[in-house]
Amino acid sequence: MSAQKKRNFKIEAFKHRVEVDPKYAEKTWKILEHAIHEIYNHNASGLSFEELYRNAYNMVLHKYGEKLYSGLVTTMTWHLKEIAKSIEAAQGGLFLEELNRKWGDHNKALQMIRDILMYMDRTFVPSNHKTPVHELGLNLWRDNIIHSHKIQTRLLDTLLDLIHRERKGEVINRGLMRNITKMLMDLGSSVYQEDFERPFLEVSASFYSGESQQFIECCDCGDYLKKAERRLNEEMERVSHYLDAKSEAKITSVVEKEMIANHMQRLVHMENSGLVNMLVDDKYEDLSRMYNLFRRVPEGFSTIRDVMTSHLRETGKQLVIDPDRLRDPVDFVQRLLDMKDKHDKIINVAFNNDKTFQNALNSSFEYFINLNNRSPEFISLYVDDKLRKGLKGVTEEDVEVVLDKVMMLFRYLQEKDVFEKYYKQHLAKRLLSGKTVSDDAERSMIVKLKTECGYQFTSKLEGMFTDMRTSQDTMQGFYASQYSEMGDGPTLAVQVLTTGSWPTQPSTPCNLPAEILSVCEKFRAYYLGTHTGRRLTWQTNMGTADIKATFGKGQKHELNVSTYQMCVLMLFNSEDCLSYKEIEQATEIPASDLKRCLQSLACVKGKNVLRKEPMSKDIAEDDAFYFNDKFTSKFIKVKIGTVVAQKESEPEKHETRQRVEEDRKPQIEAAIVRIMKSRRVLDHNSIVTEVTTQLQSRFLPNPVVIKKRIESLIEREFLERDKADRKLYRYLA
Amino acid sequence: MANGSDRVRFIVGGKIFETTTTTLASAGRHSMLGALLDDSWNLRQPAADGGGGEYFIDRNPSCFAVLLDLLRTGELHVPPNVPERLLYREALFYGLLDHVRAARWGPFDGNLLRPAASVAGRAPGDGTAIRAGPDGGCCVAHGSMVHVYDWMLEEHRPISLDYQQVNDVGYLDTQSIVVTARERLGKGDGGMGLFCSSTGELRHRFRVAHGNQVKSFTAGALSFSGSDDKIFSSCRGRCNEYGIGVWDQNTGQQVDFFYEPPGCLLGDADKLQWLDGSNCLMVATLFPRTDNCFIGLLDFREKSVVWSWSDAGITTSLDEKRVLHAIAMEDGRSICVVNQYDDLGFMDLRSNAGGVRWSSRSRLMNRKLPAEESCYPKLAAHEGQLFSSMNDSILVFCGPEWVLTSTLRRSYGGSICDFSIGGDRLFALHSDENVFDVWETPPSPIIY
Repeated sequence: MSAQKKRNFKIEAFKHRVEVDPKYAEKTWKILEHAIHEIYNHNASGLSFEELYRNAYNMVLHKYGEKLYSGLVTTMTWHLKEIAKSIEAAQGGLFLEELNRKWGDHNKALQMIRDILMYMDRTFVPSNHKTPVHELGLNLWRDNIIHSHKIQTRLLDTLLDLIHRERKGEVINRGLMRNITKMLMDLGSSVYQEDFERPFLEVSASFYSGESQQFIECCDCGDYLKKAERRLNEEMERVSHYLDAKSEAKITSVVEKEMIANHMQRLVHMENSGLVNMLVDDKYEDLSRMYNLFRRVPEGFSTIRDVMTSHLRETGKQLVIDPDRLRDPVDFVQRLLDMKDKHDKIINVAFNNDKTFQNALNSSFEYFINLNNRSPEFISLYVDDKLRKGLKGVTEEDVEVVLDKVMMLFRYLQEKDVFEKYYKQHLAKRLLSGKTVSDDAERSMIVKLKTECGYQFTSKLEGMFTDMRTSQDTMQGFYASQYSEMGDGPTLAVQVLTTGSWPTQPSTPCNLPAEILSVCEKFRAYYLGTHTGRRLTWQTNMGTADIKATFGKGQKHELNVSTYQMCVLMLFNSEDCLSYKEIEQATEIPASDLKRCLQSLACVKGKNVLRKEPMSKDIAEDDAFYFNDKFTSKFIKVKIGTVVAQKESEPEKHETRQRVEEDRKPQIEAAIVRIMKSRRVLDHNSIVTEVTTQLQSRFLPNPVVIKKRIESLIEREFLERDKADRKLYRYLA
Repeated sequence: MANGSDRVRFIVGGKIFETTTTTLASAGRHSMLGALLDDSWNLRQPAADGGGGEYFIDRNPSCFAVLLDLLRTGELHVPPNVPERLLYREALFYGLLDHVRAARWGPFDGNLLRPAASVAGRAPGDGTAIRAGPDGGCCVAHGSMVHVYDWMLEEHRPISLDYQQVNDVGYLDTQSIVVTARERLGKGDGGMGLFCSSTGELRHRFRVAHGNQVKSFTAGALSFSGSDDKIFSSCRGRCNEYGIGVWDQNTGQQVDFFYEPPGCLLGDADKLQWLDGSNCLMVATLFPRTDNCFIGLLDFREKSVVWSWSDAGITTSLDEKRVLHAIAMEDGRSICVVNQYDDLGFMDLRSNAGGVRWSSRSRLMNRKLPAEESCYPKLAAHEGQLFSSMNDSILVFCGPEWVLTSTLRRSYGGSICDFSIGGDRLFALHSDENVFDVWETPPSPIIY
């Protein structure tokens, strides 16, 4: 039976397709939709995560992903529209707070919805190129809340109004501001930029444009800069408190443009308080503020630099061409140094030691120092003054400081060879008169010149020192050998100077008194005996003498005089009265020197050991001179100076200049020959440029002079003009 | 330590599991279990009774056990009664698929490889290329189709090119595959496209413009540069467009073109390889595509060929050693080549004059002429190991002298026409049966 039945058993085709409950998807979605509502209504505690997750999973698994996703979009949109209404309804100041609170709620809800729909997020979303749930939630918030037209403008206005109030000094709720801007940033950088940052920058620009206008009308430059700086710091602080860090560069550039760049020229040139006044009054703080603010804007530095340069050039020019200043070279140089110190300090303290500013300062000094062609002489005189007396009781370090400063000025000089000339003269005077205070200081100065200009520049100066030393040895040797024969005749101190090293003028020696002459002859014999093949000439115009004199009432004085003066005075040992002519004949002192010498002996009050008939200031050919019996002085030692201009007289100056020009000729020629030797053929302009670069460490050669030298070299057949191209020169070996 | 509130109880498909929140924390917040325990879902269950929470999950208990064990130990052990596909599905439910993948096989080592799977394809005998994806998936190109497999070796919708012959394929990333195709005469097709690996849709077509005109072309070998996101492909156009095209990976726009200089074969290249260290592209055009092999290094910044080698004039008879495949070694100092006798040879990139220095290993092996059905050998280098396919096996070489250390061979499938290493796996494609083998390194042993 049963077998029969089994045989009858027939496998039938499935009549009805296996079908899930047609309302399955709808039902499941209802559960999930309900859950989303509950989450938004803060009623999630009754929900089971496992159940919701499983339902969402099942929907995706059964290919209802699309329905789930679109349902989510609809439900969330509906909730956000409700939220939008409640935010719109918030009154006044509560608006932002409501927005912030709802944003917090939405984020929390979004997190929970995302948890439920995690499976969809992992599988359905990527393969169907949908937006992931979290991003979707942010986008919907953006579209339904932030971009709802009732909220969008109100939000922007509220934010800008709060910032405006804060700028005006009110205290606002920064925490709330931070949350709102953070929300805008979370919604994507484009939302933050379009819905807040761009209008914020526009409003700020107009605010600061107005404020800067107002400030500039009523503040001086320093105050204005202070205000601008404060505003800038406020904006940076604002960014750090509640804006996106990327906004900092943008808002500061707005402030910089409106408050600084737009008013830069006016600020710098502001009357009574602009840059020039700050420089004059050493307002380090203001200057430093200006530097720090202007560095932020294009052209800022160049503006400051240009104004500073022209100010420096102007004041410097006034200083160097002021005829009053030219009377006192020491003061002149001291003022230059003070000016340099002052501006160095400004650059150091206020301008952050900026290299470009230092360069501007240097070029300005270079410009105006060379405007006055006596600058080299004055600088040398300044050193002379310092080394003669100025450095007494000053430590070695201080000496170095002074000399270093002088070297700084020296560097600005174009005519360094002129300086060398004068320095040599002044050094010679110092050495011969024994006026130099410190040998170390002298040597240190020479070392500085050597490092600056090379061996050649200082070799003669060093030669002068050597001469001084060997002279000392010679004198010791002389007295040691002659000791027995000397007796009580006058003591002689001879300085043997190498011709060429010293700036000596050829002069005919005067007639020395017999007492002196005999000692001199002894020395000559001794010197030529030890050094054969040399020639000695006496430079009587450069010597000094100490002589003892007894006057009318028997008082004795020791007179410190020059050799010329000594010769004159010795004549009065035998005569009481001598005419000018007689003196001139007896001594053979050149007329100009004699006049000066007599002037100093007879016409200076308190030192008039001679009396002149008639009494007058100037010496005439027919004057007569008497021994002044009535001479008195409270000092035993009396120094009778020669009337010499400390500065050079006009003709002397002229002469020095000519000598400098003369000295330059061989140097220029040597440079031309050096250049042509290596280049063989060169055109005129190139020679001029090369010669200038070679020589500019010593002086700036004049192109006309160079041309003359070239012509002279052509005459002497060192060079020839090219046959074809007359502009070319050819070196003839 | 695990005090009361740390304990969690699950009832999964009727079975009770107890674990700790610490164990579950390793699943991460963006997994189902992580969300389940998150505070926002547990407001009503203040775990006051010391038993922690109790959760019901309506899922398969055996898989839950496996996955819970994975979270506890980081190791994956699948009992024989749990099919892999079932486990993967459950892992996807819990959001733990990445954990499973990471525990599935260990870091790649050519000497420890074991066969993990064999996947049979549908079309026999015409395999063009196999490429490993970055996550352990692969794609197989044959004819006008590219079959795509994910790391679970599930086949996705294939990329179909409407009868255009596929020349080369490459993974740009897990989601994107670049395919180069041959142009058919009379149709403006061919070229190069970017496809979605999960759906097989065309996402982007790469263009070649010559004199501001878009040209149709045949794209050949592919290479990607890691450092500056470029795609290189050899291009053969109708008239002038012979050379190497360069595209930006992010924008898909053509950024450069290296026109074929005289004496260098670029447009037909068999192999391109970007060398990160020297910023050069190696181009190899080899026998039998051309009678005279050419290998060169291109510098795109100066548009110059900085190194090249050719066997023009060297080879005279068919029995001579012909270079059949070439790769630049990872140190960027030499190029490794292989010939029809499966000899390895090396060329020094630092000198331009040297020829191929053939390794002596060939003399030790029985030199037999290749069987009729055999495939040309291929080479690959990976983390200091050198791989060479020879008939039906892959040889692994190690050390400074490149000593043979392992041989990978399956018993069936015929000779290997291509293989590829990536995602810590090695894929070998057999030509006869169009079957590919997957080799992987087992996870590290229990005791180190």
